[in-house]
Amino acid sequence: MKAPADRRLQLEQTWSDKPGLWGFLTTVDHKRIAARYIVTAMLLMFLAGMLALDMRWQLSVPENTRMTPQLFNESFSLHGSTMLFLVSVPLMEALGLWLVPLMLGQRNMAFPRLSAFSFWLYLGGVMTLWVAHALDITPDLGWFEYPPLSGPSYSPGHRADIWAQMITFTEVAALAASVNIAVTILKMRPPGMTLARMPVFLWAQLISSLMTILSMPAIMLVTSMLIADRMVSTHFFAPAGGGDVLLFQHLFWFFGHPEVYIIFIPATGFVSQIVETFSRRPLFGHSVVVLAIMAIGALAFGLWVHHMFAVGLPRLGNNFYTAASMAIALPAGLQIFCWIATMWSGRPWLATPMLWVIGFIATFVIGGLSGIMTASAALDLQLTDTYFIVAHFHYVLIGGAIFPLFGAFCYWYPKATGRLMSERWGRWAFVLIVGGFNLGFFPMHFLGLMGMPRRVYTYPPGMGWDLLNQVATAGSAISVLGGLVFVGNALWSFWRGEHAGSDPWRGSTLEWAGLSPTPPYNLAYTPAVTSLTPMWNGGDPLRAYDGIALERREVLITSVADAAPLYRQRSASASVWPFLSAIAVTAMFLGSIFTPWAVAIGSVPIAAALIGWFWPQRERTMTGLLRKRR
Amino acid sequence: MLIMTASVRGTERRTSIGANLAVACLIALACAGCSQEARNVGPTVPQTRPRDGADPRIALYQANVDQVAQGGRYFAWYGCQACHGESATGVRNLADGQWRHGGDFDQVFASIADRHGALRYAVRVPPEQLWQLTAYARDLPLHTPEKLHRQAVDQRAEPVGNSWSGPQ
Ligand code: HEM
Ligand SMILES: [Cu+2]
Repeated sequence: MKAPADRRLQLEQTWSDKPGLWGFLTTVDHKRIAARYIVTAMLLMFLAGMLALDMRWQLSVPENTRMTPQLFNESFSLHGSTMLFLVSVPLMEALGLWLVPLMLGQRNMAFPRLSAFSFWLYLGGVMTLWVAHALDITPDLGWFEYPPLSGPSYSPGHRADIWAQMITFTEVAALAASVNIAVTILKMRPPGMTLARMPVFLWAQLISSLMTILSMPAIMLVTSMLIADRMVSTHFFAPAGGGDVLLFQHLFWFFGHPEVYIIFIPATGFVSQIVETFSRRPLFGHSVVVLAIMAIGALAFGLWVHHMFAVGLPRLGNNFYTAASMAIALPAGLQIFCWIATMWSGRPWLATPMLWVIGFIATFVIGGLSGIMTASAALDLQLTDTYFIVAHFHYVLIGGAIFPLFGAFCYWYPKATGRLMSERWGRWAFVLIVGGFNLGFFPMHFLGLMGMPRRVYTYPPGMGWDLLNQVATAGSAISVLGGLVFVGNALWSFWRGEHAGSDPWRGSTLEWAGLSPTPPYNLAYTPAVTSLTPMWNGGDPLRAYDGIALERREVLITSVADAAPLYRQRSASASVWPFLSAIAVTAMFLGSIFTPWAVAIGSVPIAAALIGWFWPQRERTMTGLLRKRR
Repeated sequence: MLIMTASVRGTERRTSIGANLAVACLIALACAGCSQEARNVGPTVPQTRPRDGADPRIALYQANVDQVAQGGRYFAWYGCQACHGESATGVRNLADGQWRHGGDFDQVFASIADRHGALRYAVRVPPEQLWQLTAYARDLPLHTPEKLHRQAVDQRAEPVGNSWSGPQ
């Protein structure tokens, strides 16, 4: 798809941002916004990783006094909350914001300004948690803050409020991103990309966005109830006042369990794309993988109670949630078999992205097996709140989400920057991270079985835990070192890496059709899709349509099932209103930590900003109630 | 305080009100942040009574939300609730800001420790807990009735004293 120079110039003019700070604040370019998301989240991953290393240092010898119990409490709370709410979920959405339009051959997201709004609010959440940390008002009750401990009587001050409000920020941001992604995938697919011809990555993003939309309201509700209990003395979680502390746990985990799949499902999307491209054959069992993702998405809403076995359920209740939890192993296993079959029957090319996929499969299987163990209510009563759990969730979170993410990073890096990352350093990083991770976290299974509780700041000598803890600390240090090599490689390659050309891996999907790095308008033409792997297409060239405006921002809207072209839609231009709206919302959220009046007073600036945002730009109508009168 | 001095100075040099205010807010926030929410869960040094109303240790208790809240817990556990509960009136009402024997820290401390007759709190309650109780009592006028009620509700649910539900 070579486009004439004047066409590219015109498109460039239409879709570029203003230079300088103003352009920075007003941009609605999905690529720039996603890049911000990714850089911020990676930075936070580094900070939270340092906290983790500090905790491991503290635990390396018994009766260590480096950290006070309070500091340790703050450290794991900040580490867990950051890793889940500010790193994993946003990174998955960010990859969606960046790649969905590219894979659809579109010029932007369905709601460009909503993407910008989402990022600014996410940044508000980041600042809320970490500026508060700098002021020594760090949440210290873990990544789920159960009442009554987090209620007004037992957690005075604002630590718990900071945590709860950070959640509100990130959830609004996540909702904004998810609605945007779901609509873009459903209504803006290129002609010919029917639902049956949608790459797995897009399916994964669609399903996890829908899951976000269905599960996030539960946590926003529950943290708002907690804030109400703390600020205006409501009784939601006060048992003697007719409230119920278990209500918190149910609502939290009704979100919390789907959340781990909101993190994991996009990762399966990355893995499917990488496996396909590097096995040099179309994914084996495409519809099986898609159906498995749907099954996981549905099942994920029916098993939150496995986080609450220790709270006590009737036997049949335990059995039900145990069975439901184990059932999810079935679709997850199907997916893994499809990936293995693809590699088996293809010609696998072990470049770094593919290495990460192999690391992912090995690690995730171990995490899945320990998951089956903890899903059993009887066993879980022994294992819950021990290091076995710490081992389990790090295997599934790091193995199941962070490894695929690193693979995705290596895979799409040339697309984003036009340069290749060094394979040599990439392999070093891979060996250090995966090796260090397993060395660091595998012993924790044994520590847990030997009875070492989680969330303890130290332990007495003579428990037989010393050696394993030392090994765990050494492993963590090695994997952090590997992380530094990984980041160093990315930074070095950004300026010094080999030029990649537009399609260095000869990838299967549409994001590889355009130039790398991608120009502001993405593709010069609208691609026509006739197969699941449009860039391979059985050897046929990629055909394209013309007809979308060049001199104004316009996108093509197609039908939901068949992707038949319906109409051309104006695409919103750069605007400062999303930024201003986010500031207004931030002020309201922060104010409402201190006084209920902030909700009432704070909504005025929000309303003003939203009016500015949605100010009509069309001519007034000539008919109807609001017609232009003479 | 910081904020006020900043705006007073700002009337002379109008241009810098905003900047001064912002800096002052930040400093105030930072100072509030560094001690007000400090949560010390380690062992504390043995305590003696406050020397006078200006004892430097007072701020450690009165200006720290965790110490005050801890006092609130002892307030229920030692049975202070029984006479000074939500419906207390007159001299027993501690939330009205009226102190018969003076409202300074040492004065309230003495009222609790020495003026409860046969309850002999001075010998029955360890000194540090008396500090916390005093801080809580002096904090009470700042609490809204809803807040006090909410806390009472929480404490009623605690399995201590009469509501103990565990092994006997
Ligand atoms: C260098 C890598 C990492 C190391 C060394 C590490 C280490 C630790 C340690 C020592 C704890 C505290 C355990 C305890 O005392 O109970 C912890 C807790 C936790 N970590 Fe990590 N971690 C790492 C990466 C991650 C990542 C990438 C995620 C998520 C994506 C994550 C999620 C969590 C969560 C949710 C908790 C629980 C916090 C809580 O108990 O509230 N960690 N980690
Ligand atoms: Cu779960």
